[in-house]
Amino acid sequence: MILTDREIRIAISRRLIEIDPAPDSETAFSSTAVDLTLDSRIRIFKDADPGVLRIIGPTQAGFDANETIGALTESRKIGAQGFDLPPKVLILAWTAEYVGLATETRIAARVEGKSSLARLGLGVHVTAPTIHAGFKGQIQLEMVNHGSVPVRLKSGMRICQLIFETTLGTPEKGYRGQFAGQTAKGPGKRAA
Amino acid sequence: MRVKVQPIGEGLHPNETVVEIKTKRGVERMTVDRRSIERSSLSVGSPLGSDGDYRLVELPRETMTGAWRVWVKRGALIEDTFEAREARVA
Repeated sequence: MILTDREIRIAISRRLIEIDPAPDSETAFSSTAVDLTLDSRIRIFKDADPGVLRIIGPTQAGFDANETIGALTESRKIGAQGFDLPPKVLILAWTAEYVGLATETRIAARVEGKSSLARLGLGVHVTAPTIHAGFKGQIQLEMVNHGSVPVRLKSGMRICQLIFETTLGTPEKGYRGQFAGQTAKGPGKRAA
Repeated sequence: MRVKVQPIGEGLHPNETVVEIKTKRGVERMTVDRRSIERSSLSVGSPLGSDGDYRLVELPRETMTGAWRVWVKRGALIEDTFEAREARVA
């Protein structure tokens, strides 16, 4: 079940959901979502050297995504003029807001685009929209301009929306479970 | 519960850091927000399973190998007391 604006506010007041800085109480909410804004920090993929063959092997032993992406990209701060995202280009960006979902909660969330930007061709994630219970941090966005003309991004602009959903039951890790605080030898593997 | 982690470097955003977690299958690396680290540990909720000296926990984020649930030594877990959680909220 998707939470309405009213239920989202209640969850925030009960600290099941944390959004910092707090979204504007009058304009950031819609009936079933909360708008989040774009942080000033982005990462841009550097131009590939045409003479060098580069292939990423995520299953290779010792693969380090952070190191790989760090080497392939450079950090940039969006200035007052904004950043013009060219067509067919991927960048990494973050929400300005820190989002926290309590581990014990029955709430998960999905980050989704905004229709006003989607019509321009702007995508804000690449198939990984789920925010699990226990998540804490600024949400990373994988932004692609699927349109035909550059889109000017400005820090602080409304960039995505968060849709909160209640789960059917509490995730196992949210229970004060049978293994919590256990000091003696455990009862064996959990049943499949 | 909280699992002990070792910060090892910068993340891709200034507010992020990369941490290492010792697991039964070796060291896993994960990018997390700096604010989620307290006492060199991350909140993981209750253990999901037990196998001898190991406990199965779900991490707050996907590791760089794509893992969510990992087996960690029982000694790598520390109690996340109600008082401690309340103190963080306050």
